[in-house]
Amino acid sequence: MTMIRMNNIHKYFAGVHVLKGVSLEVNKGEIISIIGPSGSGKSTLLRCMNQLEKIDQGSVEIEGIVVEAAGDVGTKITATPQEVRTAYRKMGMVFQSFNLFPHMTALGNVIEAPMLVHKLGKGEAVKNAEKQLNKVGLLEKKDAFPSKLSGGQKQRVAIARALAMNPDIMLFDEPTSALDPELIGEVLSVIKNLAQEHMTMIIVTHEMGFAKEISDRVIFMDDGKILEDQSPAVFFDNPRHPRIKTFLEKML
Amino acid sequence: MDHLEYVLSILPFIASGLKLTAKVYVATLLFALPVGLLAAIGKVKGPKIITRLLYLYTWIWRGTPLLLQLFFVFYGLPIIGIRLSPFTAATITYTLNSGAYLTEIFRGGIESIDKGQYEAAKVLGMTYSQTMRRIIIPQTVRRVLPPTCSEAVNLVKETALLAVIGMPDLLRIATQIFTRDFNITPFVVAFVLYLIVSSVLVKLFGTLEKKYSIYE
Repeated sequence: MTMIRMNNIHKYFAGVHVLKGVSLEVNKGEIISIIGPSGSGKSTLLRCMNQLEKIDQGSVEIEGIVVEAAGDVGTKITATPQEVRTAYRKMGMVFQSFNLFPHMTALGNVIEAPMLVHKLGKGEAVKNAEKQLNKVGLLEKKDAFPSKLSGGQKQRVAIARALAMNPDIMLFDEPTSALDPELIGEVLSVIKNLAQEHMTMIIVTHEMGFAKEISDRVIFMDDGKILEDQSPAVFFDNPRHPRIKTFLEKML
Repeated sequence: MDHLEYVLSILPFIASGLKLTAKVYVATLLFALPVGLLAAIGKVKGPKIITRLLYLYTWIWRGTPLLLQLFFVFYGLPIIGIRLSPFTAATITYTLNSGAYLTEIFRGGIESIDKGQYEAAKVLGMTYSQTMRRIIIPQTVRRVLPPTCSEAVNLVKETALLAVIGMPDLLRIATQIFTRDFNITPFVVAFVLYLIVSSVLVKLFGTLEKKYSIYE
């Protein structure tokens, strides 16, 4: 089953052509790492999946529903606004800068959207939130405000917050780039646990070892295009493209 | 002892002035806070026409003297046929004036919230109004408390302009007693009363700030 289909996506920022016709399909249960030099359009591609950035041309489908279509692509949005909203809710997202709600405790962060959006009662929301916090190993920190948590703990709460909405797909936008080196491991291990549950995941990352270990496919982006879409074995051990060779040599 | 008796004898008059001052003050705050909040949201997110009108509003009301605004409403509007009771006229003028300042305070507060907060709320499926109500406004409140406190204290002092347009507020009553008795005491009493009210407000906002700071 195709979870996300991106068709010929173009994106401009103030006249700069950031995505130059990117097409991508993500299948159920797949774990995809997107890597590449900074400014290559990795994060923008991810943010185009859930409309944090509007596309200038192309179309985006989530679980078979066209949620965005721009320009002359032969595809139109036929779903109702309600169906489009529901489709977007199938995606959870984790940000580089966590974006926890600072005025709410860890638990408050996790129960907020289920209560507000899914109209869950407080008891049920708390029960579910505690399950998620336990999963990321932070149940004992549930009453702590984000300001009292380390970067790694904040990111794990952010993951629990996204999981509490029962997403089919998780998007990670450089989830460890803002962390001190000694805190990266705890976040990566939470993501690895999710991988074992066969959650569909798309991860923009600079952690090459992690990408190699966890991914089903590695996508290399360069200058707004997908240069390579390959299994990690071939990608890392036998890079075909000189651009990728140079990049990997710098990273490893 | 004579002195204390004198103070006690003028207190009932002064108190009636204080009552009017307090009435105008409370009514103004009650209206100006929502006006400021709504206008701030309108400025941040409203359609172009609304944004333009709101800029015009804050530009005029913050850019002209409050005393002129009071003269305009009290003496100007009746000439073109709009007659308001002095209390209504005063409350409207102070509300629009204070509301303009609060609009800018709240707008600054809302705009100081990181855009990552909106993005996090959006990817969790929250609507714009849910995001404002649950995520943005509560954080804004904490940030705007100090400037709002200044505005609230300023407003106490600005109510003294009621005396100039002939309303029997705290200052005007004190002045009348002064003219009658040629005694400086009513001014001293007014002085002390204004100070007490301002201090209570500062204290109140301090408590609120503490309450809203628990998450920092």
